[in-house]
Amino acid sequence: MWTRLRGDGMELRRLIRDSVLAAAALAIFVVELHLPDLVPIPGVKLGLANIVTLITLYALSPWDALAVLTVRVLLGALFSGNMMALLYSAAGGLLAFFVMAALRPFTSTRQLWAVSALAAIAHNLGQIAAAILVTSTPSLLVYLPVLAVSGVITGLFTGFAAQFALPRIKKVLKDGK
Amino acid sequence: MIKSRTFVYIISAIFLLSLALAAYLLLRPAPGRVAEIRSDGVLIRSVDLDLVRKPERLTVTSEWGENVVLIEPGRICVESADCPDGVCVASGWLDGAAPIVCLPHRLVITLTGGGSDVDAVTG
Repeated sequence: MWTRLRGDGMELRRLIRDSVLAAAALAIFVVELHLPDLVPIPGVKLGLANIVTLITLYALSPWDALAVLTVRVLLGALFSGNMMALLYSAAGGLLAFFVMAALRPFTSTRQLWAVSALAAIAHNLGQIAAAILVTSTPSLLVYLPVLAVSGVITGLFTGFAAQFALPRIKKVLKDGK
Repeated sequence: MIKSRTFVYIISAIFLLSLALAAYLLLRPAPGRVAEIRSDGVLIRSVDLDLVRKPERLTVTSEWGENVVLIEPGRICVESADCPDGVCVASGWLDGAAPIVCLPHRLVITLTGGGSDVDAVTG
């Protein structure tokens, strides 16, 4: 995505494809913002936008997924008007990405639920670490088990969503040639 | 390839362990009756909730925004805030060991023992 566009149109195709995926992730992210909070615990959310990151990772490559994630996190903070949240979601998002990218070579496309659940836990871990550093309040650690529980539940949910959507979206992405 | 069964074991283990830990951490009584209000890690105010006689509103203003903290005899909460998510307001009255947090404004309210003056309250 960051390489210069080559004449054969491959890089251009990739740029457009990743842009569309990032736009889809952003739309999902913004819609989720408007859903009422499930529980009044800081950091608990569905994380539906991760469906797109997962699908990109498994249908395309880790680099495409990282590009889509980065664009979504940056623009998401801008669109939500919550620039403070950028720090938390960037820390969580990156940690989750590393877990997913590390697991990808060892997993099949029928194990997205597991990858997603572990990624969600990693996301919450990164979030809490950032929050503890920012507020210098170590007692925020009491939220870690709560967030891990919610992370497993929401991670499984989004993971299965990604798993069921993957074959269909993969077909579209490949047919786009 | 990692077997699915392995994932089931790992994720179940994390889930059950966290559930038990969460129940323990959140249901245990608060360590004390002194509420500490911190903004960006700096202690703004420390109140012994048992010594509060009449309700009071404390407006905490930081470079990120404003939270109105309501201090009543024996209890404390965030009454209103101009943060985007409003989680701190939805948290309600502070009880137990889980602090009230406003992440966007870096505001944290915790209950602590407040040192050795626990006995002085009953005196």
